[in-house]
Amino acid sequence: MTHYKYKLLSCLVAVGFAFSACEKQLDLDPYASVEESKAFQTSADVEAALVGAYSRVGDDNVLGGDMGVYSELLGNDEQIGWSGTYQGLTQMYNKAIPVNNDFVEDTWKEAYEAINVCNNVLAAIDKVSEGKRDNVEGQAKFLRGIVYFEMVRLYAKAWNDGNPAENDGVPLVLTPTREVSEELKVNRSKVSEVYTQIISDLTDAESKMWDKIDNGFYANRTAAAALLARVYLQKGDYANAADAANRAIESNENSLMETYAEAFPVNYDNTNALVANTDEDIFAMQVTLNTGYNDFNTFFSLFGRGDIYINPEYYENYEAADDRLSVFALNNYEYTSKFDMVYGNVHIIRLAEMYLVRAEANFRAGTAVGAKPLDDINTIRVRALLEPLTGAQLNLDAILLERYHELSFEGHRLHDVKRLEGSVGSFPWNSPKLVLPIPEREIKINPGLTQNEGY
Amino acid sequence: MHVTKKLAALLGCLWLLLAAVSVQGQTRQITGKVTDGKDGAPLIGATVTVKGTSQSVITGADGSFQLSVPSTAKTIVVSSVGFGTKEFAVSDNINVVLTTGDNSLSEVVVVGYGTKIKRDLTGSVAKVGAKELGNTPVTSFESALQGRAAGVQVQQQNGKLGQGINVKIRGSASVTAGNEPLYVIDGIPVTTRDLSSNGAPTSPLADINTNDIESIEILKDASSAAIYGSRGSNGVVLITTKKGKAGKSRIDFGFFAGKQKPTNKREFLNSQQYVDGFTDASVRAGKYDYKNYPGDWTDEQEAIDYYVGRAESAFTRFSAGNDDWKTAKVNTDWQEEAFQNAPIAQYDLSLSGGNEKTTFYMGGQYLDQTGIIARNSMKRYNGRLNIDHKFNNWLNIGTNLSFARTLNYRVSNDNAFSTPLQSVALSPITPTIDPRTGLLSGESDPDRADNPGGPNQNYPLYYNPMLSVKGAYYNTFVNRSLGNVYGQAQILKNLSFRSELGIDQLNQTEDAYYGPITERNTTYPKGGGFASADRIFNFNTNNFFRFAPVINEDNDLDAVAGMSFQKSNWYTQTATAEALPGNNYMKLVSAATKSDAVSSEQDFSFLSYFARANYKFKDRYLVAVSGRFDASSRFGPNNRWGFFPAASLGWIVSDENFLSESKVLSFLKLKASYGLTGNAEIGNYPWQKLWNGSGAYGSNPGQIPIQMANEDLKWETTASFDFGAEIGILNNRISFELDYYIRNTKDLLLNVELPGSSGYTSQLQNLGKLKNQGFEFTVNSDNIVTRDFRWSTNLNFSINRNKITDLKGQELGVGGYNRAREGEPIGVFVSREFAGADPANGDALYYKNTVLADGKRDRSTTNDYNEAEEVVIGSPNPDFIYGFRNNLTYRGIELDIFLQGVQGNQVYDGGGQYYSASFSNGYDNQTVDQLNAWKNPGDITMVPEARRGWANGTDPSSRYIMNGSYLRVKQLTLAYNLPQSIIKKAHLERVRVYARGQNLWTITDYKGWDPEVNADYQATNINQGVDFYSVPQAKVIVFGINIGL
Repeated sequence: MTHYKYKLLSCLVAVGFAFSACEKQLDLDPYASVEESKAFQTSADVEAALVGAYSRVGDDNVLGGDMGVYSELLGNDEQIGWSGTYQGLTQMYNKAIPVNNDFVEDTWKEAYEAINVCNNVLAAIDKVSEGKRDNVEGQAKFLRGIVYFEMVRLYAKAWNDGNPAENDGVPLVLTPTREVSEELKVNRSKVSEVYTQIISDLTDAESKMWDKIDNGFYANRTAAAALLARVYLQKGDYANAADAANRAIESNENSLMETYAEAFPVNYDNTNALVANTDEDIFAMQVTLNTGYNDFNTFFSLFGRGDIYINPEYYENYEAADDRLSVFALNNYEYTSKFDMVYGNVHIIRLAEMYLVRAEANFRAGTAVGAKPLDDINTIRVRALLEPLTGAQLNLDAILLERYHELSFEGHRLHDVKRLEGSVGSFPWNSPKLVLPIPEREIKINPGLTQNEGY
Repeated sequence: MHVTKKLAALLGCLWLLLAAVSVQGQTRQITGKVTDGKDGAPLIGATVTVKGTSQSVITGADGSFQLSVPSTAKTIVVSSVGFGTKEFAVSDNINVVLTTGDNSLSEVVVVGYGTKIKRDLTGSVAKVGAKELGNTPVTSFESALQGRAAGVQVQQQNGKLGQGINVKIRGSASVTAGNEPLYVIDGIPVTTRDLSSNGAPTSPLADINTNDIESIEILKDASSAAIYGSRGSNGVVLITTKKGKAGKSRIDFGFFAGKQKPTNKREFLNSQQYVDGFTDASVRAGKYDYKNYPGDWTDEQEAIDYYVGRAESAFTRFSAGNDDWKTAKVNTDWQEEAFQNAPIAQYDLSLSGGNEKTTFYMGGQYLDQTGIIARNSMKRYNGRLNIDHKFNNWLNIGTNLSFARTLNYRVSNDNAFSTPLQSVALSPITPTIDPRTGLLSGESDPDRADNPGGPNQNYPLYYNPMLSVKGAYYNTFVNRSLGNVYGQAQILKNLSFRSELGIDQLNQTEDAYYGPITERNTTYPKGGGFASADRIFNFNTNNFFRFAPVINEDNDLDAVAGMSFQKSNWYTQTATAEALPGNNYMKLVSAATKSDAVSSEQDFSFLSYFARANYKFKDRYLVAVSGRFDASSRFGPNNRWGFFPAASLGWIVSDENFLSESKVLSFLKLKASYGLTGNAEIGNYPWQKLWNGSGAYGSNPGQIPIQMANEDLKWETTASFDFGAEIGILNNRISFELDYYIRNTKDLLLNVELPGSSGYTSQLQNLGKLKNQGFEFTVNSDNIVTRDFRWSTNLNFSINRNKITDLKGQELGVGGYNRAREGEPIGVFVSREFAGADPANGDALYYKNTVLADGKRDRSTTNDYNEAEEVVIGSPNPDFIYGFRNNLTYRGIELDIFLQGVQGNQVYDGGGQYYSASFSNGYDNQTVDQLNAWKNPGDITMVPEARRGWANGTDPSSRYIMNGSYLRVKQLTLAYNLPQSIIKKAHLERVRVYARGQNLWTITDYKGWDPEVNADYQATNINQGVDFYSVPQAKVIVFGINIGL
């Protein structure tokens, strides 16, 4: 019997050992990713999430170019042509967008992904070391504000189209998503509510962000003021627009490049080289070899897909001496060379825009905050090697034409058409065809989301 | 919860021990001899076992044996591979004569954690032996399984070497979790993860030497697979490698060599047809344009001239800038360029033998196979050592060790311009060598402005894949060590304990180089490269008791209980770089720009406790119950454990008195089983809320959320019923097996969509149901058995019906050809229904198929593609599959004919939109059937009018659906075993020469290359049966010899 006991014992020991050792092996943690609670422990963790928020905002479907490209495709008629094979963009150019358009769907998803990262940063803001806290909070709010601004302009009726307090905007989500529940089905807030949130975020951002940021490309106080100027202008709130634009200019963080072409640096010896922001860039989304996207390059440039070409109709109102034509002349006026660097940063706000906003807002309000409208317009004209206007020549149309030529194909077109109540070919500024549909996918998941008129 | 389970398992073990300790007794010694009934020769290596125990001995060189048996023992069982099993009452000296035949019932079948005699099985297990598998001229053993067993569907994606092979056992049991069976080699679940980085999957099972395999058992129903619980939903494939036998040592040498060719080629246009066709299509395009947009033209002729002019300048471009196209001077068959001469050779050497204490098997193989597609080849080196040793009278120890080195020289996936077969898109008027440069067409462009002498950017029509054949490589090298050690202790007469410890270590590197001449495809003007390294370490241990008490003659119990643990770690890294200094440098070390680098790692683990009891009463009433508790790291603490029980009953009716006298019916067994199995083949860490570091911005590192949590995530579960019968008639010369099954899968692991405003797009949830039901039928018949002539037939036939019953309203696969849609089988083709060319004007027509008020579909037609509704236009799932084998031997000559077929499925020809596009898409060369395009009003044809550039009928539709049914002569073998009188003189034991053909003839209506196809770049559970420039299967003829001494 002893013999058997010995054998039995050894087997039982072996099995017992295996039982106890293996149980622990079921709790395995990933190596390349980390559980959310562990991802937010230190100030550095939250700051890393802020960088993550920038990367999501810079996604190709968000500010990595697409939102601007949509504005140009929808806001232009015969000025440009489209020869691309992306069906979703063909539909935008044709102003005939089905509710399952893939770009419409992806931009919605990616924009809210970016917003959720911002919300995560804001929810964990207490973890950020005191010295940096305000700056981190400001940047997260700046990013959230800019994304909501683009969303509400693309997916909802314009501010001036009917009553913004009655028109549906986009869902406002201001807290991070923690778990799956019915509460994730958020319905659309009103256009005015979304604008209120944007202005609140940006105002907070301006008060909390630093004047300068070491890296030279994160958003700073000037960027928040500049974006506020754009928002107020879109609302037709000219006094606030002029004030905000003035703050952005007078911070003196930025300066105009000597020539127009220098605001769009390009190196034809190596179009794959990396490019830093210019002094004129108040805010630009960064692109490197491995991070970021520039879909302006993808669709406008011959060094990308070259899908969008410029038609002669675009040049109708140019003065022959206008140096801004140089960025078209290179390609026989068929393509713009503004975006020829493959890894060029995406220009979001240039200082030149602020002079134009201040000029227009002051002109409309009859004020001269910071400078007289004539001076601001001539600042822009002189840089473009044009004769300064005289006081007699200055009128609203002249200001708007200057704006059109200065900011062409940088993503402003659709929103200016709506703000100025113009038209795109046969589509009036308030045509439902110039508003993106709410993606079919979203309405399927949350039937509480209303669809836009005309879809 | 799990603590209770551990206790239960431990208590179970203790109970078994106590029960065993009480049975003790004296022993007696018996001797005997086993001989072959055919010629009276001694049978070496036959197994003699005391019934109901694991006490056994193997016969020696003279067929004799000696065995000590307990005094209580009444019966001994004698068996040998290829022979029947016989039972005898215990006596001091036993002379046993075994005969062949009767094999289907007496055969030993490997089941999970043990073996069973086929007669006693209550589950559904298919067995394929070495005889069927051996020396099949294929890369991977799954190919050799094709058609061999009922309920097992094997499909090779295409004819590229070492690539994906889909094996489905009783249909698809999952929509998005794994669909492939669990593979277990000598008790160890092996790594099957696809590690390919080029978009087409490879199979780590291609590292296995088919000639090392003694048998493959496929566990099909819940009763047999539930012992593998969580892993059993897709069936389990148990692979047992060869063992040595006591007796005379054997040396076996095998060699075969032969050639491979594509099973089929397609017919494309020649130069004259190409030029004429596209000229005609241009004339028609001009007329069409003028008719629809008269305002754009002054007259019709202007429009025609415009289109024809554009086409002619394109012809000149494709014709290397000259006018040769006008005379059809150049006529390149680009399809021929894609294929190559494909020799295959395989060398095997094995040594085996041993004595009563120790047996061994050593095997080595070298496979040298060239693929039928240009640049594809494979070399594989395998070695194996299996040893079993009786350490003392109660302990057996042993090891099964193998290594493999696989060198796979690969080509791009089916969807790449660089994959050789995409050459068929090029124009026949394009010469292979550009007369302007004397180099490959596209290789060099002297006029190129930005890079003189660099690759041509717009000649030929597309990137010439031959540039990749010449100037690029993609080499996947694998080193694999797979093995285990085990010990088995006979603790008591009736109780044994076995412990197995196995590892599967897989190291793979990929090394790719793209030379400057590939620039048009890779955008690397100075060349570039890619490298990856993967390391998978898979550890597994099984520890279990077996209890087989001798109760009495009427009651027979065999129980197994134990635990198993598996942990697998996968480390991976990749690097990409570009700009190499000239053609001499091909490794990344020389690259100027290191553009990307990644490393990552992940783990998973499974912990399981299992038990099974088989009880037999009066040798004819069979009961089996089994259960397994499983836990996996892939699930959160809330639902980490799953329980997978099964039970089955069997009744050997033929042993009842009322049937025992039957002259015709010699065997009848009825069986039924029910049980649950699980599926956890999803990604790792799917339940946690995760962030990762992919949020870098402007060279600063950042983190972003990547996954929503689901702490309630649990096992996908399949409940299976199986009813079966096994029938033997005429002394079991003819045997039948019938099985009917229903398998209901619930809690499908699916990605469920979330509102985008949450910042997440989906969450993995348990949602949805699907069902498989089917019928299997197998016949084995020894038609003629005489001393000199034998003829046997095997037939297997299986029907499976798959249906997705609940997806909570979701439809998966929208945007592709295949869908997962409620109420339909998985992977149905959904698209517009094509109605041919409008006889009046040649427009492509589609059935509207909109649902009318009465519920019927509107069968009127429209030329507006968008007006037609998408409907189910076909299914990649066959109605039935079958295999049919006839084996004839006359003296030493053997003829074996094996047919295999698939019936009732469709194939979608995804490349059709380009090459069967009635000249209406690009300038891609067309298949000859496009010459039947509509020409004149009144023409009735399924090919719409040729209108270059107007995409007339090229959108996805049933135009490109074809019948995928086929019947193949899968294998044909003619062999000759040289007579003893000759080989004895050469001092040899056995010599066999043979000729063997694989995939010799295929009968099919499919008009593409080969109906056995699934475009590799997009193959998933849902995406099946799509052809996209996919390399056809290989037709192989080899001549071989086996020599034994």
